[in-house]
Order: sequence, then C-alpha cells, then structure tokens
Amino acid sequence: MRIQRDTVLELRLPYCENLHIGRTVFDGGPGPRVAVVSGIHGDEIEGLYLTHRIAAYLEELERTQPNALLGKVEIYPAVNPLGIDTMTRSVPPYGSDLNRQFPGHSRGLFPQRIAAAIVAAVRGAALVVDVHASNIYLREIPQVRIANEFADTLVPLAQTMNLDVVWVHGAMTVLEATLAHSVNDIQTPCLVVEMGVGMRVTPAFTEQVLLGLLHTWRRLGVLDPRLELPALTHAPLVADDGNVQYLNAETSGLFLPEIEHWSGVAAGQCLGRIVSPHHGRTLSEVRSPTDGVLFTLREFPLVHEGSLMARIVAAAPR
Amino acid sequence: MTGPFDSDIQEEAAEDVAPVLLRMTAPLREAFVIPYHDLGPRTAAPRMALVAGLHGNEINGVFVLSRLANYLAGVAAGRYPAQQLRERLLIVPAVNVLGLNLRTREWPFDKTDLNRMFPGYDAGETTQRIANAVMELTRHAHYRVDIHSSNEDFEELPHVRLYDASDEERATAWKFHLPAVIERRANKLFSVTMANAWSYHGGENFVVQAGRAGGIQAEHCETLFKALVTLLGEIGILSGVEIASDEDTHYFGLDQTFPLISEKAGFFVSKKTVGSWLLAGAVIGSVYAGFSGKLIETVKAPVAGMLSGLRRQPLLYEGDLLARIQTRHPVKQRVETYLSGQGQ
Repeated sequence: MRIQRDTVLELRLPYCENLHIGRTVFDGGPGPRVAVVSGIHGDEIEGLYLTHRIAAYLEELERTQPNALLGKVEIYPAVNPLGIDTMTRSVPPYGSDLNRQFPGHSRGLFPQRIAAAIVAAVRGAALVVDVHASNIYLREIPQVRIANEFADTLVPLAQTMNLDVVWVHGAMTVLEATLAHSVNDIQTPCLVVEMGVGMRVTPAFTEQVLLGLLHTWRRLGVLDPRLELPALTHAPLVADDGNVQYLNAETSGLFLPEIEHWSGVAAGQCLGRIVSPHHGRTLSEVRSPTDGVLFTLREFPLVHEGSLMARIVAAAPR
Repeated sequence: MTGPFDSDIQEEAAEDVAPVLLRMTAPLREAFVIPYHDLGPRTAAPRMALVAGLHGNEINGVFVLSRLANYLAGVAAGRYPAQQLRERLLIVPAVNVLGLNLRTREWPFDKTDLNRMFPGYDAGETTQRIANAVMELTRHAHYRVDIHSSNEDFEELPHVRLYDASDEERATAWKFHLPAVIERRANKLFSVTMANAWSYHGGENFVVQAGRAGGIQAEHCETLFKALVTLLGEIGILSGVEIASDEDTHYFGLDQTFPLISEKAGFFVSKKTVGSWLLAGAVIGSVYAGFSGKLIETVKAPVAGMLSGLRRQPLLYEGDLLARIQTRHPVKQRVETYLSGQGQ
C-alpha cells in the first residue's frame, strides 16, 4: 500500500499566501477507486473526524494485512479550507455556498475553480461519499440523502452503509448545483451522508458510518472480500417526500425538547415546549402529528416563528 | 440641481401607520414587522410593486424607494400640481429589515439568503414565510421590480437585467431610461429567487442593479430615482412626468456580456468609472503583488464595449471578477457559465 498526500488545487490569495486543497491517497493496487469528501461547508466538522478514522484504519491495515486494500481510497478532508479555518459555512470572503457552485469551471470565479477541481479529482470513482454534518441548528441521525432521479443506482449502494435513514427526495432545481448531483450526472455514483450537528464531532456516529463504508468498499472490491469486518449494526428506514413530517415553530422562544433524538413517537405525543425567557408561561407545546421515528431534532434552543424543530419519518405514509 | 430626489420637502409616512407586510414574534426583542407603502387609488389591484432590500447590505435600492415613497406622498398631497398618481403602487423599501439594521446580506437569525427562499411557504421556515408574504402582496401587480446592488466588492452601472424575457418585458425595459438593459439566461440557482417566482404569475418582471452593496452611491441613486419616476410616467401610473428620450439607453442581448476574470492575485486598482466605453486593449486597471508591491499585470479590455460593472474591492484572489464589458456584438463566452450563482 502506498500512502501519498498531494494537492488537487492551489490558488493564490491577495497577500503572500496560497490556498491548497489537499488529499491523501491510499493506493493498494489496480482495484476500484473510492473517495470521501468532507468540509464543503466550513462549519461542519463531523467529516474531518471520519477522514481521520478512515486514515487510521487503513494505516493499521497496512501494518496488519498489507494486501487487503485492492484499490484506492482517497480522502479529501477539507475542500473548503478557508471556511474550515474560520468556522464559516460558505467560502470566505465570498459568502458563496460551495455546494451551490458545481460542476464549477476551471476558469470561472474562485469558488467555481474549487468546485471544478473537486469534480475533476473524483470523476470516475466507483463511489464518492460527500459527508455533511447538518448545520449548527439541527442534529441529524446518520442518513443518506438521494435525489429521486438517481435512486435506482444509489439506494442499493446505500443499503450497506450502516445508516439509520435513507431519504429519497424529489427534484429541486437548486440542488443541481451540488457536488452530488454534478458527479452523479457524469455517472460517478455519489452518496450524501448527513450526520450529527455543525461545529461538533459525534464519535459514535463516526464509527457507525466507518463500518458502513468498509462493508460497502469490500462489496465494491476496493477491499479484499476475505477481509473480516464486524457485522453491520444498523439497517435504514426508507424515507421519502410522502412520509417525512416537518415540525416548524408556531411562535418564537426557547425550544426545550422532552424526547431523545432517534426515538419512536406517537401521534399527539408532546415532543417539547417553547417557553419565554421573559416569563414563566409555556408559549407552545410541540406535539407529534403522527406515529413515527424522530430523525432530526433541533440542537440550538432559540427558535423563531417557522424555525425547524424536528423531522419525523411517519410510520405510515401521510 | 434640486429635484424630487434631493427635495427638502418631507412627507409624513410614519412607520407606525404604514401597512404591514408581515408581523412575526421574536424570542426576546419585540415582534418584528415589515412595513410597506400602499400609494394611489386603492379601488383596484396594484398596478406595480417595487421591492428592495431582500439583502440587508444593499442600501441604494432601499434609500431610493424610501425617497420615492416620500416624493409620491408629496404628489398625493398636491405638492406637485402637474402630477397625479393615477394607479395603485406598492413600495417595499426593505424586506430584510433586521438585515438592513445590522448591515448583513442574509436574514440575520438563521443566516439564510432571503432571495433563495422563493416562492416561500406559509407554514415553512421563517424566511419561507417572509417570502410567501412578499409573494402574496406583490403577485397581483402587473409590473414588478426587484432592486439590487451587487455585493460589497463590485459596482454595477444602474441597469435593467432581464432573465428569459418576454417581448413585453423587452419593450418596457427601455422605459426605465437607464444606461443599459442587459439580457441574461435564467440560472438554475436563480430558480428560487423572487424575480423567478414572479414569472409564474405573469405580468412583467424586472431586476434592477445599481451600484455596490455596503454603502450609498449618490449618483447611482439619483439615476435610479429618475428612472423609476420616468417609468411610472411612461406606463401611466404617474401623469405629468416629463419623458426623456431613450437615446442614452443601450440594449445588450444574450451573449453580449464579457466577464473579465483575473488569473493573478494581489491588489487591483482602477480609475475607470462604470458606464464608460472602452476600445479593445484599453487599460482598465493594474494588479500589484501584495508583498513586493511590484506591478504584475496591466489589465486591458480584451473586447470593446461598455463597462457595466467594475471591481472595487482591491484585494484580489485568483479567479476574481474584475469587470464586465457589454459588447456590441455577441461574444463566444457564455457569461452564465463563468458567473454561476453570482449577483442577486
């Protein structure tokens, strides 16, 4: 196994410095190539820990079973390095969401050049996993999100990813400018993994997804089929536009959940309260509209009218 | 020169009596409201809606619309006897009220771009609810204008921007009498903008760009103010308006926009003004190395045309937009490819 770190894009900054987008390649031979991309949004750190754990696993594999890697694993820990450096979701100083710049252009604007370089780097991989961590407001159970038009290819790939939810959603034009859509469009399968919350790391989720990645890579022939792995621990619920319920705040205040994330809920059950910091009254009781499982829960307690507090996969379609 | 734009006549249109587009609770502060002006005879649906301040740091449009509302209140009060407001007109100077007060482009509470939340949804996220309320207010108007001021790095010549325009919109765009009308293809990212959401309700829809975010450029504001008054006169909403000739308006169709993107980084300095005409090869500005101060590039116009936009932020990254040139003839570059998602 050869381990190599290189730079996929270098761009000059106004004063002295350059921006580097780096990757690490674990090369075990001519087998299939896979990639894990992280840090498109600079305030999402979960993926950086996942790339660390992948690297640690493969380095240990080199020591114990040097022939078990048959193909290549590429990790791209921080494709928005200035955003990661400054805890900024968008690309500083532009304020542009990098995940709305794809497929990009090598002679376009600064964020478009980053996008184009990432697409060029991962093109042709057997599987790309784009790791996100929700935002700073919401906590997500490990899940994969798949656009309807790519469901036939991607849902089977997602089945062994050890995730809790596979969410197949309808088309949104704006999502055509994401990494996932752009590389799926060029026949490079890409799964979007969401887990945890912005600005934080959730090690249990990382281990869950790492195990799923290893199983999937073994199935794709990146890893030796004889490689022993612990059994998968999670099987996904399939969510779609017909069975996902959104709970938005009826009023503004502090949201106090009264239920654990990723637990079953019954129709009418109280999930939490919105209270006022100014007085002792409860402003609103948040009740589940359906039987189901709570897979998104608000992490940041302050809510405004309309703020998303929770999402539920309904037990039966709406 | 003193005209309606810089008139010292002040009309009373206090915020506390203005109609409210939306009132929403807040966790700690008082409920926030988005006020608007409802002017002219209220017996019919509004003929026009003017909206600015979807982005809180784009101040030119907000200032011009508030001055326009003051002027039209003066017309209604009989201060300009030759003029009469004949049809109903809605003016929303700022949708992103708190963003304006805090000088932020986004909606400050959750950092979302209001102009990426349309058409909105009345039971959705906060910004979706605001977008929905704006749509409910404006969708019955025949003419709708959305005013922007680029971003804090780039200065736009005041112009009408048309996306996937109809023949009626092309004809009306001339009636602003702004220095330029520029056509562009709709961009997939702009599918969630207000202007695009308007297009599903028929009528005629326009995006106007003027100046640069983060401040007020008085000359551009005056140009824009006059353009809006002229437009109101041209389409019969305001009678008694003196109409200028349109010989100073230049029309640029699809593929008549050349984006000049930098391959260097450093300090960019330009003495040019937007609206000037350039010969191919004319000097636009200079790029100096950040540390050594050495001149590393003299930026020249690759094509002849009108300078419709110019970088004003000196700190230059590799891949930054330096200028936009409107050409008399089509160019090979598709501007939408290079500037995906840029602008309003």
